[in-house]
Amino acid sequence: MVQASSVEIRKLDKFYGPFQALKGIDLTIPPGKVTCLIGPSGSGKSTLLRCMNFLEEYDAGEVRIDGQMIGYDSPGGSRMPARKLRDMRRSIGMVFQQFNLWPHMTALQNVAEGLVRVRGFSKDQAAARAAEALEKVGLSDKVANHPARLSGGQQQRVAIARAIAMEPRLMLFDEPTSALDPELVGEVLNVMKTLAAEGMTMVVVTHEMGFAAHVADQVAIMEAGELVAVDAPTRILHSPEDARIKAFLKTYHERNAF
Amino acid sequence: MFSIQTFLDSFEPLLWAARYTLLVSGLGIALGLVIGALICAAGLSRWPAARRFAAIWVSFLRGVPLLVQLLLMYYLLPVIGINVPAIAAAVITVGICASAYISEIWRGAIGALPRGQAEAAVAIGMGPRDVWGRIILPQAVVMSLPALVNELILLVKASSLVSVVGILEVTRASQAQAAMTFRPLEVYIAAACIYLAINLCLAGLGRYLEHRMAV
Repeated sequence: MVQASSVEIRKLDKFYGPFQALKGIDLTIPPGKVTCLIGPSGSGKSTLLRCMNFLEEYDAGEVRIDGQMIGYDSPGGSRMPARKLRDMRRSIGMVFQQFNLWPHMTALQNVAEGLVRVRGFSKDQAAARAAEALEKVGLSDKVANHPARLSGGQQQRVAIARAIAMEPRLMLFDEPTSALDPELVGEVLNVMKTLAAEGMTMVVVTHEMGFAAHVADQVAIMEAGELVAVDAPTRILHSPEDARIKAFLKTYHERNAF
Repeated sequence: MFSIQTFLDSFEPLLWAARYTLLVSGLGIALGLVIGALICAAGLSRWPAARRFAAIWVSFLRGVPLLVQLLLMYYLLPVIGINVPAIAAAVITVGICASAYISEIWRGAIGALPRGQAEAAVAIGMGPRDVWGRIILPQAVVMSLPALVNELILLVKASSLVSVVGILEVTRASQAQAAMTFRPLEVYIAAACIYLAINLCLAGLGRYLEHRMAV
């Protein structure tokens, strides 16, 4: 079992100029569980996810990782020292929709870079750990490839290896399969299922309802910057009560009916 | 009638003068790369005053012809009590003029990188030094190579302008040679060959570097 973090989000507000992207979000991410954030595009789910490692600066409220507030010293206080923020980010892995692998490095170097620069590993130690992480995502034979020589699914698995090599206690996934061809989605979801089974705390912004239904422990539905519902997937996806959830699921079912 | 002999004889004085062409453009570009990097950093700085300074620097140096800048520098320095040899004034002027273009080339390359490149590094806890040194600059330098080679070639050709402050580089030497031999065609064709040879070498070097550093 990996060590797993919890996340507490309280009264979280985020503004882009006059536009309020997040409106008083309250959400608890329990340790070792998978939480899926779903909702229409522009509903604020990616913004909420990015507040959890402070890639997005929030304007009010609090985000706490294992009780420790991220980004600010205290609620409404000043920015936390950059050094401290970096220390917190070390144990939060993030996987992006566009993979964001570094094109000038091989798969192995992509994974090893953070170990050397952030964790202070020697080059050899880092290469060994990186090779292990790549093996875990099924890419032992691609360690020497540059990202341009990998398929989308392989690139995303390298990106997952890059995150898990750092031994995070929390993994954030920002639409990890949205940029993939349909036939490549499965390999990435399988790696994520393995991680979930190991007890990693995972927050996943996704449109993959199948994944949400089968892997998530809780599903949070967002719309227009608000959290509409948080519940077990069976209750939310199969017997929704809120009209907004019904409407959202309806568009989803229509899109996938053929 | 084209005189092969005059054409060939022109090379000796012109190649001698080519030392100055290479010196002014070589040192000029070196200075331009250093100052350009500083101006680029100022332009991307979080301090508004630094950004303003960079913007003024770039717009002045791009907006005034190099020829006028050379004359200004040549006549201005003695007025404020600095006596430097013409060659130094020429190198400095060419360098700061090039810095304006080079800083914009780098700013463009850095700006063209997807934001996610730096975000991925920040997200695993890298500090600014590693984000810039390991992720952003290595990619930006490679991306900027074609434009830098272009700038370097323009600079070699623009170095003919430093003849106005009395430096005997290729163009000035060929004018003298043409006046002496009364055979301008042969002499200027020789001068063209020299510029062409220098710039073909530069273009080749650029292609080699691009190939070696390809991502």
